Amino acid sequence: MLAVSTAKKKKYKPPKTPLKKRLIKYWPLYVMLIPCIVYYVLVCYVPMAGSVLAFKDYSFKKGIWGSPWVGFQYFQTFFQSYDAPRLIRNTLTIGVIKCILEFPFAIILALLLNELRNMKFKKVSQTITYLPHFLSSVIIVTMLQKILAPNTGILNQFIDLLGGDGSTFFLMEPDYFYQILFSMDLWRNIGWDSIMYLAAISSVDVALYEAAEMDGCGKLKKMWHITLPGIRGTIGILFIMGVGGILSSGVDQIYLLRTPGNMTLADTLDIYVLRVGLQGGQFGYATAIGLIQGLVGLVLVVVCNRICRKMTEVSLW
Amino acid sequence: MSQNQTSRGNKIKVNKVDTFIQILIYLIVILFCLAILLPCLNVLVLSFNDGKDAARGGIWFWPRVFTLDNFKEVFKDGSIMTAYGISIARTVIGTFLSLMVTTLAGFALKQKDLPGNKLITVLITFTMLFSGGMIPTYIQYRNLHLLNSFWVYVVPSLVSVTYLLMVRTFFEGIPDSLEESAKLDGCGYFQTYLRIMLPLSKPVIAVVGLYTAVNHWNDWFAGAFYMNNSDMWPVQTVLQNMLTKSMSQQQQITSVAQALAHNAVSTTTDSLKMAAVVVTTVPILCVYPFVQKYFAQGAMIGAVKG
Repeated sequence: MLAVSTAKKKKYKPPKTPLKKRLIKYWPLYVMLIPCIVYYVLVCYVPMAGSVLAFKDYSFKKGIWGSPWVGFQYFQTFFQSYDAPRLIRNTLTIGVIKCILEFPFAIILALLLNELRNMKFKKVSQTITYLPHFLSSVIIVTMLQKILAPNTGILNQFIDLLGGDGSTFFLMEPDYFYQILFSMDLWRNIGWDSIMYLAAISSVDVALYEAAEMDGCGKLKKMWHITLPGIRGTIGILFIMGVGGILSSGVDQIYLLRTPGNMTLADTLDIYVLRVGLQGGQFGYATAIGLIQGLVGLVLVVVCNRICRKMTEVSLW
Repeated sequence: MSQNQTSRGNKIKVNKVDTFIQILIYLIVILFCLAILLPCLNVLVLSFNDGKDAARGGIWFWPRVFTLDNFKEVFKDGSIMTAYGISIARTVIGTFLSLMVTTLAGFALKQKDLPGNKLITVLITFTMLFSGGMIPTYIQYRNLHLLNSFWVYVVPSLVSVTYLLMVRTFFEGIPDSLEESAKLDGCGYFQTYLRIMLPLSKPVIAVVGLYTAVNHWNDWFAGAFYMNNSDMWPVQTVLQNMLTKSMSQQQQITSVAQALAHNAVSTTTDSLKMAAVVVTTVPILCVYPFVQKYFAQGAMIGAVKG
């Protein structure tokens, strides 16, 4: 996926063996591919085709294909509904928090880790920062619930110690919802996301640093003028990939973080699809909303990819 | 001469600033590591502390009333133990099947002049960018009779694009001459796959296997939405159910006093939950330090090319 497209030199290609011969030669390979292809057709492409449900009045008996068409009715209902502006706003806010606000932190962490000269210390801190990535959201939110508990949680105890009011019910306060989400997601992913940047940094030409040192550049200047430009390709690619997910902020954490207190903010399109579709049984309507999300995500990735290719000559394809 | 002096002066200044920055960097990294470790430590300590005592608050990073009762309760609870069994079963079976399908496909797609190779790769990669969405997927699972069966844990996550590309990239790095010599010795494609490719690609198999296993172990979604029978839930879904219940119970709490009263009632469930969290995380934590190197390597294999 992460292919850096560079100007390809024309290579000499040996003449291909005829198609028929290759088909006969490779037939065992096709047998090996069968499970994978069957998987992608059944689990990915059939549901993709099933998106036509967005234009149909689904009935269990008739199945997706037999159900009658209703045109753009669901889209109309959704955009005219009272919920739509709120849902879209929530989804965008959470998407921006997760994809854009958090984005620079992994780069910063990678820059910091790269400066550590004590190898043992570097290794230990890397091990620690990668760790939360392997904890499930359920575990993390359960821990969070305990840590943020009023009066007995350590955060509130700490506030108490400093002389503040240690009885804030953080998870119930809508005012803290975005901060909690941001810190939780950052806590979980920053270390893992920094791996890519660390790998990119290690491939920056060492001679450049030496030259900069000759010119009297300090650490910060070297970071700014050499390391960052050196890894802009990686930054670009990861950014494109992130932007595609801006509308699908994930059911995972938000579903778990929902409390009666923050319900109005935690209601995203994903959660809405889950509520209305899986739990409410309005399959057609929920599919329509899911389809909008998917298409907007796809368009965003394509557009970002194009912009990025124009600006930095780096792209996904 | 004077120019020389000023440049040396600059250098000293730069060095001083650099030392300061270096110390600052160490400090930030240490603080960040603490921010990750301390909450985990607090939860660990709570799981070893007496539930009623913990409800009074004031537990930091050392247990006040040490007890193993929370863990005893967890292990006595039949439903959690069954959930453990389900989790282990899906992790083992799911990882094995995933590895099989992924390596077979990776081996086939490694062959550059396989007719249709490009098309298949593009179609597979496209699923990363666009998917059918939750509801059509759900209906498809129902049509495949996956709902409420054990296989709903295994089949939906059978192949992942990222891992498939990782495996293929690794296979491409294995010299063709090995394959050719195997062919000369009379090996068919399947024999080559089994006897040459698999033994040579242990690193990538380890990485992909570990990722898949962790994903299986951590998944709660399939259990919560595709499985009605709570006896068949994996341990993460059981925990999620406990969590969601307690999150919505907070509904009734409007004042601090009520919160306190509420906490006093649910002390044991609270400390039980902490113990369950610890027990659920321990398998990962036990393996993690040893395999962390491979995890990081794997992230880079994926970064090389797709």
